[in-house]
Amino acid sequence: MTSARTVDRLSRILALIPFVLEHQGADVQDVLERFDYSEAQLARDLNTVFVCGLPGYGPGDLMEAYIDEDEVIIDAAEYFTRAPRLTPAEALGLLAAGMTAIEMGAASQALSSAVAKLSAVLVPDAGHSLSVSVGEGTEYAATLRAAAAEGRVVRITYRSVGREENTTREIEPWSVFTTLGRWYVMGRCRLVQDQRTFRIDRIKDLETLEEKFEPPEQLPEPNVSYTPSPEDVTCLIDLSPEARWVLDYYPVDVLRESNRAIRIRFSSPDTEVPARLLLRLGSGAKLVDGVEVAERTRALGELLLDMYSRH
Amino acid sequence: MQTVVERVLNLLIFLLETPRPVTADEVRGTVLGYGEQSDDAFHRMFERDKDVLRRLGVPLKMEALDAWEVDFGYTVDPGEYALPDPGLSNEERVALSVAARMVRLGGTPSGLAALLKLGGVERGVGLEPLGADLGRGSDRLGDLFGAVTERRHIEFEYRGVARSLDPYGLAHRRGHWYLVGAGADGERVFRVDRIEKLSMGGEPGAFDKPKRFDVRKAVDTQPWEAGQDPLIEAEVEFAPEVSWWAARTLGLPDPDGPLTARVPVANHDAFVGWVLSFGEHAEVVSPEELRTEIRERVSAALEALS
Repeated sequence: MTSARTVDRLSRILALIPFVLEHQGADVQDVLERFDYSEAQLARDLNTVFVCGLPGYGPGDLMEAYIDEDEVIIDAAEYFTRAPRLTPAEALGLLAAGMTAIEMGAASQALSSAVAKLSAVLVPDAGHSLSVSVGEGTEYAATLRAAAAEGRVVRITYRSVGREENTTREIEPWSVFTTLGRWYVMGRCRLVQDQRTFRIDRIKDLETLEEKFEPPEQLPEPNVSYTPSPEDVTCLIDLSPEARWVLDYYPVDVLRESNRAIRIRFSSPDTEVPARLLLRLGSGAKLVDGVEVAERTRALGELLLDMYSRH
Repeated sequence: MQTVVERVLNLLIFLLETPRPVTADEVRGTVLGYGEQSDDAFHRMFERDKDVLRRLGVPLKMEALDAWEVDFGYTVDPGEYALPDPGLSNEERVALSVAARMVRLGGTPSGLAALLKLGGVERGVGLEPLGADLGRGSDRLGDLFGAVTERRHIEFEYRGVARSLDPYGLAHRRGHWYLVGAGADGERVFRVDRIEKLSMGGEPGAFDKPKRFDVRKAVDTQPWEAGQDPLIEAEVEFAPEVSWWAARTLGLPDPDGPLTARVPVANHDAFVGWVLSFGEHAEVVSPEELRTEIRERVSAALEALS
């Protein structure tokens, strides 16, 4: 197989030639930035173009390509006046980027019209056959982004993941991002006096305060995975195949897997989350180890049975 | 020594400039870089290069040269090759460049390759403290999008079951990509990362998409709305601690206090699970059959516990 590098290189060359043909004598610096080239890479690709052309391959048959002073020159390449069509993957990538930015509220009028123009050319009814949604919470995401940009402290009422209760805390928002379908704000939490990442869809109330803060010079890499702490409650559960979806929604360790059961280790700050999960799974899950979780599941289960026996 | 890049460029130029199909032998005898090879080496090389052209987005076609379809030739129509000009303004190009840098797909900026073909990334664009990651991405995603836009029939395996599908649309939700299409058992939604053994043999234009089809409607339903159970309306009471969270899921305004909601349910199983995820803070008031199902579910869980 030909390497992806070869394809990438050819793809860039076939994009570069039409651009230079249209902007003859384009500034080298502009071309480097525009096509994400290093100087050496550009020189190498121009040298390649320079030795290719029509059969015969004599001086009059080959393309011209060189750098003159600060200008990029390509000539005798009429067959490459236009770049090749976008592959489906390329079209998908660009449309998805545009749709996502629009949904994130980061879009200008220009982006909306650009996506509309691209869709019209690439996919006649892209609006109905492609949809990208990066999750809820976009309204708060916009407020938090503004607060991050201005360096303003915010006060949030938050429903912690893994501890189903509301807390109110002040945070210094550093950045807003979305990954795996969820929105997060990362910053310093004044309640725990440390760096924290919060899920924006779990913020109930949000208020931007007058008070300002100084963000760190270098933003740390966002970390969205749940990190178990030593105080966590841990239990072992066997999931039936129908309960497989649990792996997609909870941060669990898969210990082993067979056709009949998936054994997981479940960690959370308290017993509430695994208890509720076990009850909703009914006979689809079996607690293998975890005395505290068993106790809480039994207590909650009996409370519910009581509740549903009333009229 | 000719490099692959040079040879493929020469091949592409030859195909674009020759207004008729050319045979493999003609290519071998004409295009620089093929001549010195043995038969086997040439055929391997030519196959590889054709594959490269397709991966670049070049519409390489094979046509019969005679009525008996004995000889075949290759051709690239310059009109089909050329990327149509979407007529983007400078401002629009800048906006797309910003979006492409903000959004990641498969670990790289999404759409950068497309931007290059459209004239490169505009410089001088600022980035906000904002980002989005659309997941791992894959070649398969591109293939499926191609099948959707070209209306090609596809076949694949899903959870061990062979599927045959007219693909209607793709959607990204909650970190996953979904494929929506119609098969023998009607319209269905599939998670792209669970699709196996995909085969894309179909011809373009193989089916018509229903006029009213909207991929958003297909994927934006709650699990308990999509099901085969007879549709019933459930009345649920949510305690103040969880009412805002439930309201948000149901698309209702923030209740600021307890919430009583009427929810259409077509999948009892999924609905019972959702209500139980609120512990004692949610109670189905009616109908009685759902209350019974909740009792049964909880009893089953308690039984599994002992």
